[in-house]
Amino acid sequence: MAIALADSRTKRAQTRIRSYLTAEIVTGAVLGTLVLSALIFQPLLITHDPMAGDLFARFQPPGTDGHILGTDELGRDIWSRVLAGLTWSMSAALVSNLISFVIGTALGLLAAEMPGLVRTIIRQLIDTVLSFPGLIVAICVITVFEQGFWPLVLTLGFLTWPVFARVVYAESLTLLERDYVQNARLIGVGRVRTLTRHVLPGLRPTLMVMLAFHFADMLIAESALSYLGLGAPLGEPTWGNMLAASRDKLIFAPWMMLAPAGAIVMAVVTTNFVGDGIAALSRRQGKGIDQ
Amino acid sequence: MSEISSTAKLTTDAGASPARSRAEALGALVPIALKLRDLVVLLLALVTLLFVLLPLAGDPAQVMAGMDATPAQIDAIRAKYGFDQPWWVQYFRYWGNVLQFDFGESLASGQPAMEVVLTHLPATLLLTFLAMGFTIAVSVPLGAWLGFRPDAVTRRIGAWLVFFFQGVPGFVFGLVLIQIFAVNLRWVPSLGYETPAAWILPTLALSAFLVPKLTRVVAANVAEAMREDYVRTARAFGATRREILWRHALPNALLGAAALIGTQFAFLLSGTVIIERIFSWPGIGWLLIERTQTLDFPVVQALAMLIALMVFAVNTITDLSFRYLDPRIKGTN
Repeated sequence: MAIALADSRTKRAQTRIRSYLTAEIVTGAVLGTLVLSALIFQPLLITHDPMAGDLFARFQPPGTDGHILGTDELGRDIWSRVLAGLTWSMSAALVSNLISFVIGTALGLLAAEMPGLVRTIIRQLIDTVLSFPGLIVAICVITVFEQGFWPLVLTLGFLTWPVFARVVYAESLTLLERDYVQNARLIGVGRVRTLTRHVLPGLRPTLMVMLAFHFADMLIAESALSYLGLGAPLGEPTWGNMLAASRDKLIFAPWMMLAPAGAIVMAVVTTNFVGDGIAALSRRQGKGIDQ
Repeated sequence: MSEISSTAKLTTDAGASPARSRAEALGALVPIALKLRDLVVLLLALVTLLFVLLPLAGDPAQVMAGMDATPAQIDAIRAKYGFDQPWWVQYFRYWGNVLQFDFGESLASGQPAMEVVLTHLPATLLLTFLAMGFTIAVSVPLGAWLGFRPDAVTRRIGAWLVFFFQGVPGFVFGLVLIQIFAVNLRWVPSLGYETPAAWILPTLALSAFLVPKLTRVVAANVAEAMREDYVRTARAFGATRREILWRHALPNALLGAAALIGTQFAFLLSGTVIIERIFSWPGIGWLLIERTQTLDFPVVQALAMLIALMVFAVNTITDLSFRYLDPRIKGTN
């Protein structure tokens, strides 16, 4: 009897683990781990100084003299530059993502909690920023200020927070109606505490998925602006800069374009798969609660 | 679902008093009034932003006078354009000019700024419509195919590929297209826009921004519609799955797809900026990049205003027409 019980318990644990091993979750986890380890072990993987050129070794095709992905117009190692670009892209996407997440979540919660004038103003602000021609404003702002990490991430963050604010607002409105939130209010829990301790955790599954997909959007926006010469400072090893440098050399040095292009696609696809995996994971956990 | 709610609405309308129907007619005007408020706020924000950014980019009088101007010349320009006035006088004068679509003269050519922008607009509109047409022509059949039987193996692979392609930014796709079809195979030119052959690659590259998204929306909508109660009823009355797809599921899915296209218009215009840059397509996106580099601010301001108004117009038309077309939206805010 006891053995049978233990047996069924391990079986249940097994099926529980197996239920997490869906295609989406596994793909997301594996790809995410790969990119993260490339980021962590980057110093070990870089073979050459990404900034140091060798004018006697310009436009080397991939595979020559230990240059895994060849060299660029100044003889710099493209493999090392692509890896160095990973740090730049990831941190730019992460910080702009966080800026838009913090502003968007705060304003979304505020609009849900405070009906009346505050809500009207915030909703109007959301609509206005959403109908702004984002890239055009970004180009104007970055032209006026200097290009660099902070102008880039601040512009991206301040232009894209309504993405979060809209969803947080809509979902908080329904959460605020729930019994457990109403009960918390009745026993005298304050406004700030209600929002941070009772509403925000309920938003977590949605926000996790949004953070992942918004991260992908920020990666694309960052590389596009760098390609236009408006993101990273010139000469900095970033994928957008490398693509821009390859513009007129496609005929004789296609690897200069293909290497950073592949890196961008890989990073964005990975992020999308991680987002999809997180979505699948929270659906599964939601199911577990319902049962 | 839509049929049910519209018949329900008809029966209540029949029993309503004249006063109530008048109130309902007035209620239909509320969305338009709200849109007008949105437009006013948008203009206020954009004009103020442009007004603040302009002097930060450098002394406009200095830029207009040129590099080797004497202080006296600069002062003369300052007085001529009113740059020596207090900021609020300049601000209201600026508003007056904006409302007349007068953004001054291009610093590069001396033409009125709006005129410069309008001469480049047709190229952008051509590219946008080509890309939209191609996107719809690919996404709707593909999405319908994927959503019709979402669990079949080939369609799951298809859906996976579409998801993969969502991670390929349009401009990266454009560069790869140039590499393959213009540089290596030499089938089509990579630059210019005089011949229709040169339109192919930019259209494909710009479509890459929207095709995966739209395909996924159509597929999800078709799959959802196939599970609806009225589809089961139609099946019970002997309709084939194919008939149901064409008569019920697809029209429903197209409504959602059209809404997406409307709301993605701003996104598409942002996409054209970088696609035009890659293919040297002489549209307003190309103009924007070129003129920001030479600090031709009258033209940049005219561009920003025109693009904002175009995006607003498309969003508003989409939103309002769906409010009147789809009875399900009326109840929601």
